[in-house]
Amino acid sequence: MATVSEADKAGRNHLPGDGNMWVFVLGDLVIFGGYFIIFMIYRHQERDLFLESQQHLSLTVGVVNTLVLLASSWFVATSVQATRAGQYQRAIRLTVIGGGCGLVFLAIKAYEWTSKIGQGYTFPSNDFFMFYYLLTGVHLFHVALGLLFLGVTFAELRSPKLRRVSMVETGATYWHMVDLLWIVIFALLYVMR
Amino acid sequence: MSVRLPQAARSTTVVWAVLSAITVVSWWLGPAHHSGPPAPSTAITVAVLALGLFKARLIIRHFMEVRTAPLWLRVSTDVWLVALWGGVLGIYLY
Repeated sequence: MATVSEADKAGRNHLPGDGNMWVFVLGDLVIFGGYFIIFMIYRHQERDLFLESQQHLSLTVGVVNTLVLLASSWFVATSVQATRAGQYQRAIRLTVIGGGCGLVFLAIKAYEWTSKIGQGYTFPSNDFFMFYYLLTGVHLFHVALGLLFLGVTFAELRSPKLRRVSMVETGATYWHMVDLLWIVIFALLYVMR
Repeated sequence: MSVRLPQAARSTTVVWAVLSAITVVSWWLGPAHHSGPPAPSTAITVAVLALGLFKARLIIRHFMEVRTAPLWLRVSTDVWLVALWGGVLGIYLY
C-alpha cells in the first residue's frame, strides 16, 4: 500500500526481498569469488603475459560500462524507494530506465567483444583472454538474467493487484549483484597491474 | 528527484556519485595511458584493490540495503568481501 513500508520502520533488521534470492546471491558470490581467486593464481604465474594482454583491452570501454551499470543501479535503487512511497508510475519508469541501461551495457560488451575478435584476440589466444571471455561471458549471462528479473518487477508494478514491495526488492537485489560482480571484474581485468 | 523521499534518495544519489567518481579515477590509474607494456605497480594495484573493496562494500551496504539487514547477512557479506579482496591481494603480493 501507499504508506511508508515496514522496511523503513524495521530499522536494522529488514531483509530486503525474498530470502531464497539472498541464498542464491550469496551462492553466486562464492562461485564468482572462486573464479576470481583462480584468475589471480593464473595471473601470478604468467604476470608479464597478463600485463601485456591487458593493454589490449580498452580501459575507456571498461569505464563506460562501469558507469552505465552504476547508473542503472541508481535507477533501480530509486525505483525501490518509489515503490515504498506508493509512487508506482515513477517506479515503473525508473525500472524501465534501469533495464535500458542494462541493454546499453550488453550493446557495449558486444561491441567490445567484436572489436577484440576483429583484432585477433580470441578465447584460445592465451590464458588472459580465456579468462577475459570466461568472466565477462558468465557475467553477461547474469546481466541477461537480471534483465529478466527486472521484467518481473515491471509486471509486478504494472498490476495494481500485485505491487508487492518485497518482489521489487528481490529484483533489485539481483540487479545490484550484477553491478557488484562487474566492479570486481573491472578492477581485476582492466585496472590492476 | 523526488522531494518526498529526501533522506533515502539523497543517500542513494551520494553513493552513486562517489562510486562513479572512483570509477573515473580508476581510468586515470589504469595502464592504457602508457605506450609499451605497462610496468607492474604494487602501489597502483593496492590502491585499485582498496578502491574496489570500498566500491563493492558501498554497493552491498547501500544499494543492496544490507546496512539495515539482519546481522547474519551483514556479517556474511563482510566475510565475503574480506576473503575475496584479501585473497586477491595476498596472491598478488605472494
